Amino acid sequence: MSATAVRAGLRGRELVDGLTRLLGPAKVLGTKEDLILYEYDGAVDTATPDAVVLPSDTSDVAAVARFCHEHHVPIVPRGAGTGLSGGAIPVEGGVVVSFARMARIIELDVPNRRAVVQPGLINLHLSTAAAPHGLYFVPDPSSQKACTLGGNVAENSGGPHTLAYGVTTNHVTGLEIVLADGTVVRLGGKAEDGEGYDLVGAFVGSEGTLGLVTEITVKLTPLPEDKRTLLAAFGSMDEASASVSAIIAAGIVPAAIEMLDALATEAVEAAVGAGYPLDAGGILLVEVDGLREGLDEAITRIEDICRANGATTLRRAASALERDRLWAGRKGAFAAMGRLAPAYYVQDGVIPRTRLPEVLRTIREVSARHGLRIANVFHAGDGNLHPLVLFSDVSELPRVHEAGLEILTACVEAGGSLTGEHGVGMEKNCYMPLQFAAADLAAMRRVKDAFDPAGLANPGKIFPTPGRCREFQLAATT
Amino acid sequence: MSRTTNAVRVATYEECARVLADASERGQSVRIRGAGTKDYLGDSLDADIVLETGALSRIVAHVPADLTITVAAGTPFATVQRALGEVGQRLALDPPHASHATMGGIVAANSSGFWRARYGGVRDQLIGSTIALTDGSLARSGGRVVKNVAGYDLNKLLIGSLGTLGAIVECTFKVLPLPAASDGVRATFTRPGDAFAAADAVARTPARPVALVVDGKARDKWHLYVQSDGDPAAVARTCEIAAAAASGTGTAERDGAVADALAPLRELPAAAVGAVVRAALPPAAQPAFAHTATRVDGFARLVADAASGIVRVHVTGVDDDLVAAADALLAAARVCGGSARVERRPERLRARVAAWGDGDLPGLFLMQRLKAAFDPSGVLAPARGPVR
Repeated sequence: MSATAVRAGLRGRELVDGLTRLLGPAKVLGTKEDLILYEYDGAVDTATPDAVVLPSDTSDVAAVARFCHEHHVPIVPRGAGTGLSGGAIPVEGGVVVSFARMARIIELDVPNRRAVVQPGLINLHLSTAAAPHGLYFVPDPSSQKACTLGGNVAENSGGPHTLAYGVTTNHVTGLEIVLADGTVVRLGGKAEDGEGYDLVGAFVGSEGTLGLVTEITVKLTPLPEDKRTLLAAFGSMDEASASVSAIIAAGIVPAAIEMLDALATEAVEAAVGAGYPLDAGGILLVEVDGLREGLDEAITRIEDICRANGATTLRRAASALERDRLWAGRKGAFAAMGRLAPAYYVQDGVIPRTRLPEVLRTIREVSARHGLRIANVFHAGDGNLHPLVLFSDVSELPRVHEAGLEILTACVEAGGSLTGEHGVGMEKNCYMPLQFAAADLAAMRRVKDAFDPAGLANPGKIFPTPGRCREFQLAATT
Repeated sequence: MSRTTNAVRVATYEECARVLADASERGQSVRIRGAGTKDYLGDSLDADIVLETGALSRIVAHVPADLTITVAAGTPFATVQRALGEVGQRLALDPPHASHATMGGIVAANSSGFWRARYGGVRDQLIGSTIALTDGSLARSGGRVVKNVAGYDLNKLLIGSLGTLGAIVECTFKVLPLPAASDGVRATFTRPGDAFAAADAVARTPARPVALVVDGKARDKWHLYVQSDGDPAAVARTCEIAAAAASGTGTAERDGAVADALAPLRELPAAAVGAVVRAALPPAAQPAFAHTATRVDGFARLVADAASGIVRVHVTGVDDDLVAAADALLAAARVCGGSARVERRPERLRARVAAWGDGDLPGLFLMQRLKAAFDPSGVLAPARGPVR
């Protein structure tokens, strides 16, 4: 779906020429052929930027922001473009700032268990670099081989292992940011608690709407000594869901509890061959980690609970290789959807854990009602659903969006949230009134205005926009 | 206090919002008070109105299997912990003043103890909030689910805001199952550097102790307290790791009562006579900061959450010594790459010793813009926090 909006400010050739004078030709893209490569991300919406810049340092970013501010041009940060809510899409045009050339580890500070990195650094590269020191960066989105730390900060990314260890915001202690007017600000540092308001905490998860992050200080965590990984297959999703609740009720907090339904399993097996049983109605992937002591006992208790809830297959990974294979299935699940359909639309709603069975039933009803296949592969431990609505052709998109909205409405009505880790972006900003009252959004707007009074930082995201959301508002009131 | 203060005890969230709106309209300053356990924090308490939240005391929602709890802000921490304990759960927070403090006060003061070594602080536990604003509205952020990125995380701005942005009326926290076992190690050292080195050695392992505390008094030995919670076998192994880490330079013994030893250390800011400076440091800077602290005139005690780099220094003596010590410690924290505040000083020195010294906070202009956006008439605790 292409979105266009009319705005004042510099556009087209004039904008590209101005940026080229500022940064030199090697850092600016402005031809149609170049720009269309930046019109999409991992979601379904598209919009073409007026220009793309590739800064090599903070002063480049600040110069671009000052230029954009002076000429009233939106500025949109972009990491690897793996985002799933259109966060990197310049919905109102303007300049996309790609951090592809700011991808260094500035400092691996082992004594402080911190790393200082540039925003374009790929998530997995940080953990790989820290591993020889017995440390790693905890958040592990399934896209961690491609996604960047800057994107993780913008979206407050999670991953399968956030159940026990927290999401990105729990692991960031300092930021250098560039405001949309070009001001460079350092927030926090290597210490955990600064004085004054926690601006680092407010910035993480702000989806590029408060400014651009140019440097990130993160906590590194000691690698677990050992892990136990269990695959449990059930006849139904209800049995798998009941097992999740029973594990939590037994006082066990595993490092990860992931769930897949039969359709997701079919895709994963076709694409990855992870060894998931194809006759299962629901699969759990459970991992415990930490010190070696106690792991066998914990995983045995989890096995007992799964068995009591009807598990038909229980298989512990016997080797690191087998564990990697089990995880390759989970982490490759989104990509594997290509085996089932040419395209998918993924939702990211969160529900209280105890509401899993009923909301999964609602998803099945939505699927049947719209005649759309929906695969489920998600973070069951923290109630973060990922229903993948499969489709073949853009002509189906209105129906697909409708199905997505019905699922999100069910999540919010169950006491949950529109998004657990993918962000609101331009994909769900019209739906924000489902979850938040006008007064709630007005309070958030105060934060936006404090950081970005001119409204040039990634406009058209998070907050409902009068133009694009009118249709939804009408639908909601009828 | 120079003026007559009017106390208003609100009974509902809406009433709380109305009181703020009226005060804002009339230009009357407001201080928000839970149980009043942390009045020593910050600079001036001066206000026309004290808004008391103690009647907002209620557990709003607790579904044990969801591992979350929602409470009204005036609910005492002890009440929440007791209710959770009945179903085998707890908040993974161990703030000072635990017997009286309210949940809203704990959030507004960013009050955490030693358990942040494993569980993090308030910012890692608070997942949702409702605040009353000076325009009379009630605004929610976050929610009741453990993972949530819908909209800005206003929770983070409230933590430690000392009632300067709005009145917290409701909060939702993550909760955890009670651990199956608990044990600890107490180690003794001659030099502070050795105690910190042993703490660092433990922090570098995957043992994840609940508390990792270095404690030293003037002209006395230094102690490292390691508390471990969880699976019995893992707890035993953590104690072995801690004992081994201490063995080269100190002496270590298993001590099942480490939690009792930590209790008075946690209350240091609550009980101290003299002044307490609280520094937040990069973990590896703690030995250097401790070295400076022990040489300050009037040094009495240092207590460090060594895993997190939160270090408190207690100094005693005549007023001039306290003033000089506070200055020196604030400067030392900055030199070490961290920051600090004077957490407590005798009331008579409150005006003379500024809680945040004269240091310029990073991003202060943004904080001032936020303050102006949330409290345009500047009535909320106008001279208490660092953002004015």
